[in-house]
Amino acid sequence: MREPEPFAGWRVVAAPPALDALEARTGAGVALRIAADDLLVLSGGEQPALDDPDAIVEPETGFVGWELDPPAVRALLVGHVEWQPPAPRPTLAQGLVAAVPAKLWLREDGSALLLCLAAYAAELEARLA
Amino acid sequence: MIELDGRRLPIVAGDTIALAALRAGEHPGHGGTVCLAGDCGSCVAEVDGVAWVRTCQTPARPGVVVRRHPDGNAPPLLGGSSSLVEPSVRHEQAELVVVGDGPSGQDAAASASAAGREVVVLDAARGDEVVVIDHGPTVIVRRSGTDPVTLVHLHAHEVVLATGAAELHPVCPGTRLRGLYTAGAAAVAHTAGVVLPDAVAIGTPPEGVPCRPVPGRLARLEGNGRISAVVVEHDGDVVRHGCATAIFGLGSSPRDILARIAPDLAVRVVGSAASAHELPPPPVEGVICPCSGTTVEDLEAVWARGFRELELVKRASLCGTGTCQGSACLPHLRSWVAQRSGRPAEPFTARPAARQLTLGEAAAGYHVDAFRRTALHGEHHRLGAQLDRFGGWWRPWSYGDLGAEYWAVRRAVSIGDVSTLGKMVVSGPDVVEALERLYPNHVHDLRLGRSRYALVLNERGHITDDGMICRDDDARFTLTFTSGGASAAEMWVRDWIETWGLRVHVLDRTMSLGAINVTGPSAAELLRRLGVDEPPRFLQHRRLPVAGIDCHVMRLSFTGEASFELHHPIDASAELWQALLHEGADLGVRPHGLEALFGLRLEKGHVIVGQDTELDSSPRRVGMEWAVKMDKADFLGRSALERTAPLPDDRRLHAFTMPSPAPFEGSAILHEGEVVGVVTSSFDSPILEQAVLLGWLRHRPFPSVVEIDGRSATTSSTPFYDPEGSRARA
Repeated sequence: MREPEPFAGWRVVAAPPALDALEARTGAGVALRIAADDLLVLSGGEQPALDDPDAIVEPETGFVGWELDPPAVRALLVGHVEWQPPAPRPTLAQGLVAAVPAKLWLREDGSALLLCLAAYAAELEARLA
Repeated sequence: MIELDGRRLPIVAGDTIALAALRAGEHPGHGGTVCLAGDCGSCVAEVDGVAWVRTCQTPARPGVVVRRHPDGNAPPLLGGSSSLVEPSVRHEQAELVVVGDGPSGQDAAASASAAGREVVVLDAARGDEVVVIDHGPTVIVRRSGTDPVTLVHLHAHEVVLATGAAELHPVCPGTRLRGLYTAGAAAVAHTAGVVLPDAVAIGTPPEGVPCRPVPGRLARLEGNGRISAVVVEHDGDVVRHGCATAIFGLGSSPRDILARIAPDLAVRVVGSAASAHELPPPPVEGVICPCSGTTVEDLEAVWARGFRELELVKRASLCGTGTCQGSACLPHLRSWVAQRSGRPAEPFTARPAARQLTLGEAAAGYHVDAFRRTALHGEHHRLGAQLDRFGGWWRPWSYGDLGAEYWAVRRAVSIGDVSTLGKMVVSGPDVVEALERLYPNHVHDLRLGRSRYALVLNERGHITDDGMICRDDDARFTLTFTSGGASAAEMWVRDWIETWGLRVHVLDRTMSLGAINVTGPSAAELLRRLGVDEPPRFLQHRRLPVAGIDCHVMRLSFTGEASFELHHPIDASAELWQALLHEGADLGVRPHGLEALFGLRLEKGHVIVGQDTELDSSPRRVGMEWAVKMDKADFLGRSALERTAPLPDDRRLHAFTMPSPAPFEGSAILHEGEVVGVVTSSFDSPILEQAVLLGWLRHRPFPSVVEIDGRSATTSSTPFYDPEGSRARA
């Protein structure tokens, strides 16, 4: 397995309506809605602005990821994922991959971005090798 | 050809190992009734180096090497040179899994399919051997025909067991002889061309198998290695029938081992496996459990000792604890117990697996906990650190020289990786109200840029964690927690804020930020060299660039010396670490591990929650009532503390000193020969030249002198080191 790619982006915790608007502006696949009040933006650049004065907006470099082609995604799901990912694509799926907390951005063409916290990257890489 | 204990045996297409052995006049084991259905353990042997394989379920592939286990003993353990290949694992999903493709299984599958459910049918005859039903329910299937073996973990919403019935084995003297078959096994063997010479049948004879039916109740089997006669009681007479083969059609019992393994899961049993089966007559003599060798006489003995429930009889006699988990003996045991107790005996629980597994197969697809690595993991390795697991992280225990690490902190400057600390940002219009309710100390009066130590209490007033509260803005705070408590702390904060319906945003930054503790008398000088002209004062915090890296600098102290925690994005951890080591070289900087840190903090008398506290430790018990402000209107645990305050409480965490060497943590504390407590932390203090300890005492009056490790120890106050705290504030 290749070395994972680090991401330098933003983490935004805010009121859901404010995040809805930011998510729509940023675009699916770049802005991942990891919770109703939590948005992970995978690209850097300007600090996101949004309509919530109490929003927490912090630079985020804690995640790394692997781009997986469709055969690799199928192998990953069959070999290391105990849960059933949601059927519609594209979609964000979150859960344990090889018993490591991870996220999968599953695209329409069958490819995916596998994300995990950098603290888990070495362990996940070893388990998927 | 296959090989059985060195003898080469011919095989024909479709043979199992057991059938090939029987055709050659051999028994796959050392004797006993064979069922050829995978129910009993009579035919288990070592196959290609794997022990406990059911040869009646294992295809006789050319070249297979089979060795019988030692008669009456377990097989020897394999050496470390085993070349067994790790099985692969597939995860599959299904709404409904039906185990068994007989009539009742087909009915269940058909009706589920008609209702639009997604159904997977598994049958051992097609190579899908169900070995375990685990939580989920997850059906673990050993799929043959692949190399290496594939273990399928089938995650189901529901499981239907249509596994049919198993044939009863005889219980009487002589059941370890060769030439004994259940009726079903005789039919299978006959169809496969196995010669069953001079056969007699007790009970219902198998169709199409040449044999002489013998009426009467089976009394015993006779022979020398191989059966030569059956003895029955018939019409008041004892009748001996000479034979070379005995076939038993004694009835059946539910094949329910999988259901007994998974009694509390979404598992439904149908067909014969769920039907009521008549129990056999209570056995009176002979081996009842072929796997463990338990005899009826053994049952009598444990009954006489007072074990009079089925599960107790099982545990005391080992009946049903062997290879087949009761598939052969359970009906007989239930019958025996029912007769003795006068009431029906329910089937006992079975332990996984229903089929023998190698350790590799059992472990395949399962993982131990994932331990996290800080962004400085590589730096620690390069510095020769001994890493160990603490609080879910790999952390440096030592860099090889405890003394040098310790003195660098006390006399120069040292850096420690504290990236594992819990770090959380909370923000919102109700944030002060939320923190006032969460913490036992005041929050509203904390000024911007200041921080405050805080305990974390649960509703019972017991300490669950501790950390710092740092005010970033009017409506924004940074909270820290212990490394081991960070995950629970996040849930604790979120749960309560949601419960109270307060307007507060929460962001856990534990794994997004690294943190380096710069500590020692030269710590401020080192920061100045890295661009911090005016480091924060004690219990202040500021966001500053350090070596050009954006840091949240917190001035506090766990070691007792001036200390600065530099919280920073983890992608800059290595750069910051290296800059600190480089710029501080002439100051004597060196990293310290946890071993030194634990000793340094103990000299200051700082408690480690979880090590020095117990599950029910209150602030009073650890001497930290100063950290609780009972003048507050309310906070978590307040009512419990108020209620318990007037009650007597004899447990206290105490501090002790004694001559070195420091006793082991966990050592008993004695007074007048009686154990009165336990040591929780212990360290040989280089600067104080004695051992310093924390430990629990549980009885008043608390003695001033106790005995630990056979030596005298004296109670003390804390901090042991720098009690005025001038060094931390310097």
